Amino acid sequence: MISPRTLRNLRSELSRSLLAKLGIAILAVILFIALFAPLLAPHDPTEQDLDNTNIPPLGFTATENQTTSEMVDGEVKIVEKQVVVNTTAEHPLGTDSLGRDVLSRTMFGARTSLLVGLFGTAIAVVLGVTVGITAGYYGGRIDDALMRFADVMLAFPSLVLAIALIGLWGQASLRLPDPLVASGIASQTMPESIVLPGTVIAVVALVNWVWFARVARGEALSVRDQEYVKAARSMGGSDLHVILKHVLPNSLTPILVLATIQIAAIILLESSLSFLGFSGAQLSWGFDIAQGRQYLSSSWWIATVPGLAIVAAVVGINLIGDWLRDALDPGIEGQGGAS
Amino acid sequence: MTDPLVRVDGLEKYYYENDTLLDRLTGAEPEAVRAVDGVSFEVREGETLGVVGESGCGKSTLAETLMRLREPTGGSVTFDGDPVYDLSGDDLDAFRRRAQVMFQDPFSSLDPRMTAGEIITEPLAIHDVGTVAERRERAETLLEEVGLSADQIDRYPHEFSGGQRQRIGFARALAIDPEFIVLDEPVSALDVSVQAQVLNLLADMQAERDLTYLFIAHDLSVVRHISDRVAVMYLGEVVEIGPTEEIFESPQHPYTKALLESVPRADTDERDRVVETIRGDVPSPRNPPSGCSFRTRCPELIQPPGLDVPQATFREISDFRTRIENGDIDVDLRWEQVGDANREDRAAFVDSLREEAFDEPLPDADEETVREAIRALADGDRETAAATLRERYRSPCEAVEPALPAGDHPDACLLNEQPDDVEAAREEWEAEHDASGVGTPSQ
Repeated sequence: MISPRTLRNLRSELSRSLLAKLGIAILAVILFIALFAPLLAPHDPTEQDLDNTNIPPLGFTATENQTTSEMVDGEVKIVEKQVVVNTTAEHPLGTDSLGRDVLSRTMFGARTSLLVGLFGTAIAVVLGVTVGITAGYYGGRIDDALMRFADVMLAFPSLVLAIALIGLWGQASLRLPDPLVASGIASQTMPESIVLPGTVIAVVALVNWVWFARVARGEALSVRDQEYVKAARSMGGSDLHVILKHVLPNSLTPILVLATIQIAAIILLESSLSFLGFSGAQLSWGFDIAQGRQYLSSSWWIATVPGLAIVAAVVGINLIGDWLRDALDPGIEGQGGAS
Repeated sequence: MTDPLVRVDGLEKYYYENDTLLDRLTGAEPEAVRAVDGVSFEVREGETLGVVGESGCGKSTLAETLMRLREPTGGSVTFDGDPVYDLSGDDLDAFRRRAQVMFQDPFSSLDPRMTAGEIITEPLAIHDVGTVAERRERAETLLEEVGLSADQIDRYPHEFSGGQRQRIGFARALAIDPEFIVLDEPVSALDVSVQAQVLNLLADMQAERDLTYLFIAHDLSVVRHISDRVAVMYLGEVVEIGPTEEIFESPQHPYTKALLESVPRADTDERDRVVETIRGDVPSPRNPPSGCSFRTRCPELIQPPGLDVPQATFREISDFRTRIENGDIDVDLRWEQVGDANREDRAAFVDSLREEAFDEPLPDADEETVREAIRALADGDRETAAATLRERYRSPCEAVEPALPAGDHPDACLLNEQPDDVEAAREEWEAEHDASGVGTPSQ
């Protein structure tokens, strides 16, 4: 399906573009961390250590107001003291308000974000492309019906729609045993399962499929009138044959480009949902930001570190999207700003 | 003579505008675009029937409707005795194997994401013929047969030139051993030198495999080169059909004559020949002329009985009348040009428009009729102006619709032999028109 010419374009665009290389590097690092989080993380991300809360990252200092009771002259007094909290190499990016290691949490949070981003986008692509190609290929009333429905979906703000759907369906999630932990490669103290937030994935897909439907419909409309489609039909090719062999392969390029951009958008949406507490995820960048929000004035790192992780992931994916867009189809305009 | 392989009978394909949801809700009458408007012909086994006509005359729609890529509005197509539009299941499958199409555009007719081999074997894959290895072998053989080399089988279309792409398209049409191939302008996108090669390939394959062709083109020399018989199309209708040499040597229909006239010739005697192009544009198929569809441009428009003006004059008068009837004359603008804001100097208006519309001298009686019409126009009465001209200059060509008579070389023109019912209709019209007292322009 990918022709040598396409590969050549991808390569030449990659060698020309520094940003594309940067994007690939960023995403590769994040993917690596997400895959091997149990091996890489210094601590169990859920392990609490109430003696070591709000430790700042290495190289920073923080003071904390401590309230203690002391015996002074035979009287019990409440004393407020400013204490300097020491950084420790054990928690290079510090700890949060419950003493959990911020670095470990951010590493494990990458899993949630990427799982939701990839699965959510995959479902959205399948759904959107099916609807869009059906509408574009058949046209007429089928097109009217499907695309008006899609327009109605578009009319809802995606976050509101997502929250409403989660409210409707609850927060179902699937726990898959982590193969690295189960096989004993990683330390047994790490969380033994990967949480697949099913509802969130379904919801972000339902919120985002419309974009794919619109792009796929447009592509199908133009491919439908190509002579090779007429040729296939004159040979006796069924609609299914024409769609699978001709319409779909020739519609994929802009869909691929849109998909990379949508992964970023979906990661953001997942973070928003986690931040607002709707996703049910306990180990996610958005959730950590929400946790850290109330400590922002004193312990800024709790929210900032996962926030930077989101920025890195979104920027990296968008850079890859730009690269694909430039390499595959110089004619297509940015579809960004989706959702 | 054996039965024809393909028989097209009264085929019609209309497209409807004003057919969106809103139009349906508001009950707007859908407007028909008559792309193919009652076409009948036969294609005999083993022959090549050429179809020529200007752009937009419905040639390609005819090809696609004939192949049942579009549903017809009316009429029928019979393929080897079977009604094509009633086929289903296995019978339709068989038709799809026996009849193939080769398209015009060397770029869009091949899927850019398939290799030459995949493209050529697609019909085999669709009809589940042979194993993958057998199909590949077949594709290699076909590539060689159409003048490419077997080791190009894994290349993509963009690696081929336009002529080579058309060869691949032809190989695809040949892959499943069809009997009938519709060639929809197969060489019109190619350079002249490449055209000849591809045409020769088409001719060779036809001889070798006993193929029947329907060859669609707008280039007369190409059609002459390859066709046994030629059908000339104008505005969705066949106006003349006959053996190639007869069509080219003694064309009967004025449109065919004009079409042949308009071709530049490579002959020193012809150097100073003024190429007579056909005047005007093809009328919109949305609203085709009544009667003969070529009458708005015909250099041999028939005059009503009793009228005898020079042909060029009659043509000018008819064109002028058409402009009035269609509202193409801007009366306000004309008054402005005359420079009379109060619209009192009617004579100046009449002179101005008279000079603009006519190059030919007008006989006295006709001068008076034309001026009378323009005077009505100056008063803003378009209806009367049109009626004045219509009464005197109405041609049988606009009242009687010509048809193709039977025979080997029929043409649809009232000047020539016509079927009995058309002749009868014309006689009836002329008798009626004569009685209405033509020749004395009313004052």
